[in-house]
Amino acid sequence: MSMSKPNFTRRQKSCPFSSEESCDIDWKDVDTLNGYISERGKIMPSRITVVSQKKQRVLALAIKRARQMALMPYVAQENTNRTRRG
Amino acid sequence: MTCYETVFIARPDLTETQVKDLTKKFTDILTKNGGKVLKTEYWGLRTLAYKINKSSKGHYALIESEADGKAIAELDRLLRLDEDVMRYMSVRLKAPSKEPSVILSNTGVKKPYIKREAA
Repeated sequence: MSMSKPNFTRRQKSCPFSSEESCDIDWKDVDTLNGYISERGKIMPSRITVVSQKKQRVLALAIKRARQMALMPYVAQENTNRTRRG
Repeated sequence: MTCYETVFIARPDLTETQVKDLTKKFTDILTKNGGKVLKTEYWGLRTLAYKINKSSKGHYALIESEADGKAIAELDRLLRLDEDVMRYMSVRLKAPSKEPSVILSNTGVKKPYIKREAA
């Protein structure tokens, strides 16, 4: 196997929301939206998540709506040594 | 007629039947003002992501309707005045939704973004 230069430009291939079988961005779909926020609850930039610009605007609006309806936090607590009961 | 969906959060010390009566009251207002109610959902008593009015749980309910702006404006006005409603939001939809909300079909298991199973 020849040693080639590591290729840093290849991350994810394409926008997760722009293909034909991808799900719509719904502000009630908290499970999907949780994949695009950081640990603190901040919206992640599209250069990291490889979301297209158009979908990033829709995604940001969906996250803000979910925040307003208390489905997602504005500021998430960092994971401390809290024990969850039941 | 444009499609709207309204989600509101009711106080946690109400019972489920009281929340359903509250939902019925709002759907009656919509039909009285010339709208058509497509579906109503009750999501249950959920934990809120942050405290609202010092409580960390609330009853969620959804009303999807086909109405004109005046009916929705009237609904919003009454939602704002109602003491049992802590928060509400009306959103315009491009098309009526075909299936129940994702929250109802959620089994509580976190999953990554997933492709839609049914078209």
